[in-house]
Amino acid sequence: MSTLLPIALITYKEGIRNKAFFGVSLVALLLLCAGALISIMVPQEMGKAAVDMALSVISFSGLLVVFFVGINLMAKDLDRRTIYMVLSRPISRSQYIIGKFIGMLFLIVMTMLFVSLLAIILLFLLKMGYPDRFERFSWSLVLLAAFLSTLGLVLLSSLSILFASFTSASFVTSALTVVVYIIGQSLGDMKTLVETPQSFPVGISPFIVKLVQTVYYIFPNLSLFDIKMQAAHNLSPSFSYIVWTALYGLFYTCVAITLAALIFKKKEVP
Amino acid sequence: MNAIEAINISKEFKRGIGYKKVRALEDLNLEIHKGEVFGFLGPNGAGKSTTIKILMDLIHPNGGSASILGKDIRSVEARRSVGYLPESPYFYDYLSAEELLWFGGRAAGLTKRAIAERSEMLIDKVSLREARTRHIRTFSKGMLQRAGLALALIHDPDVVILDEPMSGLDPIGRKMVGDLLVELKSQGKTVFFSSHILTDVERFCDRVGILVAGRLRMVDSLNNLLSDGAALEDVFLREVKAAGGGIEV
Repeated sequence: MSTLLPIALITYKEGIRNKAFFGVSLVALLLLCAGALISIMVPQEMGKAAVDMALSVISFSGLLVVFFVGINLMAKDLDRRTIYMVLSRPISRSQYIIGKFIGMLFLIVMTMLFVSLLAIILLFLLKMGYPDRFERFSWSLVLLAAFLSTLGLVLLSSLSILFASFTSASFVTSALTVVVYIIGQSLGDMKTLVETPQSFPVGISPFIVKLVQTVYYIFPNLSLFDIKMQAAHNLSPSFSYIVWTALYGLFYTCVAITLAALIFKKKEVP
Repeated sequence: MNAIEAINISKEFKRGIGYKKVRALEDLNLEIHKGEVFGFLGPNGAGKSTTIKILMDLIHPNGGSASILGKDIRSVEARRSVGYLPESPYFYDYLSAEELLWFGGRAAGLTKRAIAERSEMLIDKVSLREARTRHIRTFSKGMLQRAGLALALIHDPDVVILDEPMSGLDPIGRKMVGDLLVELKSQGKTVFFSSHILTDVERFCDRVGILVAGRLRMVDSLNNLLSDGAALEDVFLREVKAAGGGIEV
């Protein structure tokens, strides 16, 4: 831990001081204000719209930080050879990977806390101004949705570290992370679609069904971490869903970081 | 026990679309004694940086083994007593020189007090006092080089490996590095540095090794090499010429 903390701290500082981070914070603030204005324009659905938009901004901001700041924290280390200043210390490759991950974790948690706080303030003001429009509203669900969204982003970050461990260009890491994000978001729906024959007018070959099912178990199902709609409609997911989703995220993250550490042990940084 | 020992180190890189093999080092044997200043010379592409990166376990040799103060270079412990300055060092943009040194000290297991004392001393030594709280992204190339030197020395290592320490430095910076080398030598530290600047090598080194096209052509003390009145430049050019061209496979 005494070695992990310095790596995590410099990674976090490098991320939080990045200009892109301030840009994302500003975008989040503007989007939250826009969301509040839009929800006022739909008085019948104001509560649902406000919660949905606030949670969308929270997860979108986190995603921007992962893509524009987080990924670069390790990928650029390799691109620009800043990694030499770390690996020339008595630090093992595994410690480097874990330290980087903890640093990214700090960054994501801080971003999500900050944007969530802004969102909560806006929701609170709206709720104070229009209490009758927020009858079906639950703070705990909003917080739960933000928490699960954070877990999803942490998982995505761990995958970006895994990709950086075997690629040599930050662009490739970014591209792979985007692809996995897109697949991960649509995987649950795709699986449901191919497993429900009546949803297609034409038959789906068993091969396609098997392929989608295989892909489903390889790629992370990021849609599990998205409960914005439930939160907006005040529909609480079951306790077991929350626990299993959290464990799923944790397990997947641990596997990705372990694999990254194993791969990175052999990697050369010429 | 030698400070640095390399036995039959060889290294090949795969380059280009066809993964053409390029041999960077061939059966390199090297012994650097404790307390000496060793100059590692060679033309561009000779394999000097490759050797240093292998010693720092940044890249892995295809064959052979190496140790630093008796510890296998693949072990984390081998790097505890080594300070390394890469060629053209890059650091995190948004850290200050103070934070950089804090990181180096913490990673080496120094106490808070030791970090504070060593940082203060080194920041003065590399003339970064006024810039110590500025973000590194605002540093000039020479300042980066000096910050890198301070980082290499923060944990008071017994072995210092410097890859082109004078590159990018103005005459004042070069004098500063020269003074540091002299001071390290007087403290009994082992210094292994690569350089193109032969006058610097002549000034500071006890022994030199000349590497050409991945092969170590010779290792000898400076006194022996220059005993007949020859200049180091003549010796260097003679060895390079004798070695001929590259050794691509």
